[in-house]
Amino acid sequence: MEESMTTSQGGESDMECSDNEFYDYYNSNDDIDIEQIDPRNIDPEYFEYNCLLEEQVDRLLNETVETLSNNLQIPPSLAKVLLHSNQWNINEVTKKFNDNSTQTLIAARIEPDAPPSSLLLTRLSSYVYCSVCATLQHFENFHNLSCAHMFCNECWTMHFEVQINQGISTGIACMARDCIVLAPEDFVLKHLQRPNMREKYQQFSFQDYVKSHPFLRFCPGPNCSIVVHSKDIKAKRATCNQCKTIFCFKCGCDYHAPTDCHVIKKWLTKCADDSETANYISAHTKDCPKCHICIEKNGGCNHMQCYNCKHDFCWMCLGDWKSHGSEYYECSRYRENPNIAHESVHAQAREALKKYLHYYERWENHSKSLKLEEQTLEKLRSRINQNVMSGLGTWIDWQYLFTAANLLAKCRYTLQYTYPYAYYMEGGSRKELFEYQQAQLEAEIENLSWKIERAETTNRGDLENQMDIAEKRRTTLLKDFLDE
Amino acid sequence: MASLPRRIIKETQRLMQEPVPGISAVPDDSNARYFHVIVTGPEDSPFEGGLFKLELFLPEDYPMSAPKVRFITKIYHPNIDRLGRICLDILKDKWSPALQIRTVLLSIQALLSAPNPDDPLANDVAELWKVNESEAIRNAKEWTRRYAMDN
Ligand SMILES: [Zn+2]
Ligand SMILES: [Zn+2]
Ligand SMILES: [Zn+2]
Ligand SMILES: [Zn+2]
Ligand SMILES: [Zn+2]
Ligand SMILES: [Zn+2]
Repeated sequence: MEESMTTSQGGESDMECSDNEFYDYYNSNDDIDIEQIDPRNIDPEYFEYNCLLEEQVDRLLNETVETLSNNLQIPPSLAKVLLHSNQWNINEVTKKFNDNSTQTLIAARIEPDAPPSSLLLTRLSSYVYCSVCATLQHFENFHNLSCAHMFCNECWTMHFEVQINQGISTGIACMARDCIVLAPEDFVLKHLQRPNMREKYQQFSFQDYVKSHPFLRFCPGPNCSIVVHSKDIKAKRATCNQCKTIFCFKCGCDYHAPTDCHVIKKWLTKCADDSETANYISAHTKDCPKCHICIEKNGGCNHMQCYNCKHDFCWMCLGDWKSHGSEYYECSRYRENPNIAHESVHAQAREALKKYLHYYERWENHSKSLKLEEQTLEKLRSRINQNVMSGLGTWIDWQYLFTAANLLAKCRYTLQYTYPYAYYMEGGSRKELFEYQQAQLEAEIENLSWKIERAETTNRGDLENQMDIAEKRRTTLLKDFLDE
Repeated sequence: MASLPRRIIKETQRLMQEPVPGISAVPDDSNARYFHVIVTGPEDSPFEGGLFKLELFLPEDYPMSAPKVRFITKIYHPNIDRLGRICLDILKDKWSPALQIRTVLLSIQALLSAPNPDDPLANDVAELWKVNESEAIRNAKEWTRRYAMDN
């Protein structure tokens, strides 16, 4: 199931030799490099990435810094500023530097754009005036960046401390008016004595470096310090190996396949803006469409059976469940009024709202089902516990149920994220295909959920068969619609 | 109270000895970090003839942090809001420890001569300044007369 935790062994990494040594740090098993079928063809969600600890990230960054420092014969602290301002693209920086080193250093704010005018070294004997603290001091107490603006050490220290306390680190500039030359790491650290300030500075700059690095993402999990590394900057699923948070590698938000980063952001903003309008639909109870008795939904499955009249119906559309299993299942699809362009503005607005609510209701409902199914799993866990304790099978015998529940969650999660995708999709044959596959997936997911809720009476082979079908439907949809 | 940094003493001395034309800045009797400021409305501006009171406070980490300045006299200006807060880059991210009270006050005076409605703090004022400048200037003159004269 955990298909994505592979380390890079493919031909790709051989071409980019700069980080190869790095991979060796955590390549536990050195498999033989055999020609293999591209796993992306089998699994549309295939993603190569690694979860790194802070020390590993430091090592990765420092190696790049050292390489550049050696290549260009510049101090490591300047190499770091250069890399940071060029998205850590060592090849590009090297090329730029070889083309025009002065311009590259100016663009990275390592050097001033005009050469320092008439050096401010008009000193009386060996004393210099510091314009910040307004004192005359021995010139040995002074330091300056490449811009030659001299200030006393005490003032530099105070300047750095005030900036760091505001959360600024890699962006600290010279103290002179209108001077934008940046203070590199070694210059800052030379002026910081207090251990907590040094620590803060290093912590903030580490965050800046990771954020500017296209191959690195902080795990968004609460209080988690893991950094995910991948050379594949795509909207793929990354799972943190420490806190298990699942997120989209590209945008760092909740994973959202098949919808892309841009569309999901638009959808979530819309949902937040329209939350008032959508509130009324979040009901937990509905009436049975046949006997009209009030029914409360307490499971995740949308295939409902009335406890009173035993009528099988769909929670979403209140239609007969029998029709949902067929090829003509249309519960997930929104049928737009074909003549809407000719209707009044008022009617169009109503139609737009109706359309949004259709998708929103299903999006919201699957999200709720996910939570309810978690509760179902908890109940299941305690029942299995009782069974095992009273001699009905062993733990191993029941393990398949947990696998099934995990798969159900994974499928329903994808299903939930198909709704924003469909909402923003233009009409046409591609949308028809999408909605067809979405409907098929939905039907199989509800079947799976139904069977898991009745796990003890469902036979295992039947359940495993259902798992297989649901997952196949899910991958088929993703293969066709998950954009690279 | 901690002793006053040499830098503040120097700046205060200079402000008293060679005051900026059109601006007076006097430290408070009980707090040398607090200045009572009066800016004269610049000639050929809608604020001409007005005397504008401001307060200026030097925070603990001055000059590493910018002074805090606020208009006390009501003023109709796109970069100054109802509370008298001033939208001026050198008071925020463009502050440099090499800048002084003097430079800040000069910049505020310049802001009165050349309002910048494209970087507004008071949105309604800036809006009017853009769509109907003559009416905005009339308002500014009226406010100057009402709040910044004879008191
Ligand atoms: Zn400088
Ligand atoms: Zn100094
Ligand atoms: Zn994590
Ligand atoms: Zn994304
Ligand atoms: Zn019923
Ligand atoms: Zn339905």
